[in-house]
Amino acid sequence: MEPVKIAMMGMTHGHTRKYYQTLLENQKLDWVASCAQDEDAQKVYELYNTGVPCYPDPEKMIAEHPDIEAIVIASANDQHYKDMEFCAKRGIHILSMKIPSFDMDEYDAMIDMVDKAGIVCQIELEMHYNPVVKRLQKLISEGALGKLLSIQATNITLSPVWAFPWQGSPEASYGKRVPLSGDDHRFRGGALCDHPHIFDLIRWLTGSSFDSVFAQAAPNLRKELEVEDMVLAAGKMKDGTAFLFDPSWSRLEERLKVPGPGWERFPKRMEVNVTITGEKGMIQCDCFGPNVYHNGAPNDRYTVQYTYFDEWIGLIDEFVDCIRNHKQPKINLKWHRETIACMNACYESIKSGSTVKI
Amino acid sequence: MITRMNESLEFLRDKYGFPAGTVVAGSDYFCVETTSGTFPLLPHRVERRIIELKKMIDSATLEEVSTLRFAKFTAGGDLKKLLAAELDLAEYLADSPVVRIFAGGDGKKVCNCIVRFANGISASIECGINLPVNTKNVDRHEIIARRGVGCDRGVDTQVPQHSIYLWNTDGETTFTDVDTELFGLPDDAIWIVRAAYAVLKDASLPELWSAAARRSVKLADCALESISNNLPVNVEGGF
Repeated sequence: MEPVKIAMMGMTHGHTRKYYQTLLENQKLDWVASCAQDEDAQKVYELYNTGVPCYPDPEKMIAEHPDIEAIVIASANDQHYKDMEFCAKRGIHILSMKIPSFDMDEYDAMIDMVDKAGIVCQIELEMHYNPVVKRLQKLISEGALGKLLSIQATNITLSPVWAFPWQGSPEASYGKRVPLSGDDHRFRGGALCDHPHIFDLIRWLTGSSFDSVFAQAAPNLRKELEVEDMVLAAGKMKDGTAFLFDPSWSRLEERLKVPGPGWERFPKRMEVNVTITGEKGMIQCDCFGPNVYHNGAPNDRYTVQYTYFDEWIGLIDEFVDCIRNHKQPKINLKWHRETIACMNACYESIKSGSTVKI
Repeated sequence: MITRMNESLEFLRDKYGFPAGTVVAGSDYFCVETTSGTFPLLPHRVERRIIELKKMIDSATLEEVSTLRFAKFTAGGDLKKLLAAELDLAEYLADSPVVRIFAGGDGKKVCNCIVRFANGISASIECGINLPVNTKNVDRHEIIARRGVGCDRGVDTQVPQHSIYLWNTDGETTFTDVDTELFGLPDDAIWIVRAAYAVLKDASLPELWSAAARRSVKLADCALESISNNLPVNVEGGF
């Protein structure tokens, strides 16, 4: 199979660096170019010494590499429509970051442009390629728990805003400036926008759709942020499964410009834990554990050092397979729409103080 | 199981492109057979937790290592092989050859060692094969340094933790999956395949690992000799 000529674009997304190793090692890919949104992004990119050229604008990148077949759009949420349009016009396949857009009209226009261009557009929801999630799906589909009654899940992390400032900007993260509620000085665009995974996961585990949701924001841990950092959501699926989600930035961080060792203050910088109760039993699951632990450099604090991040390998494998074999990715724009709709409904619930039907 | 391991190795070879090889059983360790010879595999070195512990030392997250504290207990198996693997791991993480071993225990089901390395680091290694049948392995690898302690077990946990705990009418079942590409293979088999992948990909490893494997078995013999004499065994000068 001819390797897919791939590029990256934007380079401002928090997940950007996670692709480097896979793009370089996977023989089914030929990573030919990158394109940074600004000088800062280019400088950070250069720290990783990938050996892949980085261009200041996409037109120049395409002019130098007209054979690019696919692009990982690694930009801020408010850049996605423009970046997708750039790709769709040229028939370039797209690997989109986890939030294509929160504006549902814009989202539908994305679906339309991808359909018309006949390209693959895969959404990056990497938890699907996590080995623990794979086991979880297997156990549930084999009936180990019987009918599911309740799913509680955390998707809690430190806040990436100091390294990726757009994630603290209501416009860049949510797409516009929308107050959380009438009496709240904060705006949409914070922790909730960073954590779609558990909203997606429950749809896979139950095979059902969202029915309703209630959400509330707590006082921020980081007072200087304009966006929410602590939020809880509860609701039910159409099949009756209850859910309780915590998609907060509840782990404090050192305010580093470039993520690296010592970023975390709380020992574990990221957690996706799931508790599932079914009619026949119960599961507790830590999707990123166990690991190894230390209290060494740089801060001499007890720290979790993660032992596996396979997700990007499986994700890219699927992307290549879809391109070469003309398949629809599992997480495509149409599938993901309901997840985004539910996240928007959470914001509506925070605003109204009431349950929102989805 | 060897057939499944070789299918998995072939899958990785197709994806990442490296020379051909076949996993075969060996007397002390599983081996990989290639056109240039048959080489022992050291799967314990490629477990991801061990890779991360090694990284902690190499990247100076832990500075000036003083002592290693290892333990491994299994439900049955060969005590000498278990010892050999743990001693190899200790030399690998200490980055220095063992120069002295003192060991106690019955030498059949249990063996506790105190080890000194050429660079002055000490290690304690507890090994046992007397867990009840069907019990999962219990182990711990702790590195104590002047700056920092690293461990593959969390604080306040005496036994290995798992990714998934399932409670249903069958009682409690646990799962720990760490490799998406080789999902479905048992853990031991995953690390054998990953070790074969490492040897086939890195031309320097066959020779290095062959020497380390031979040495580890001799170190295990020294530990058993120490038990029988109740005296420390000097292994200076190597084998």
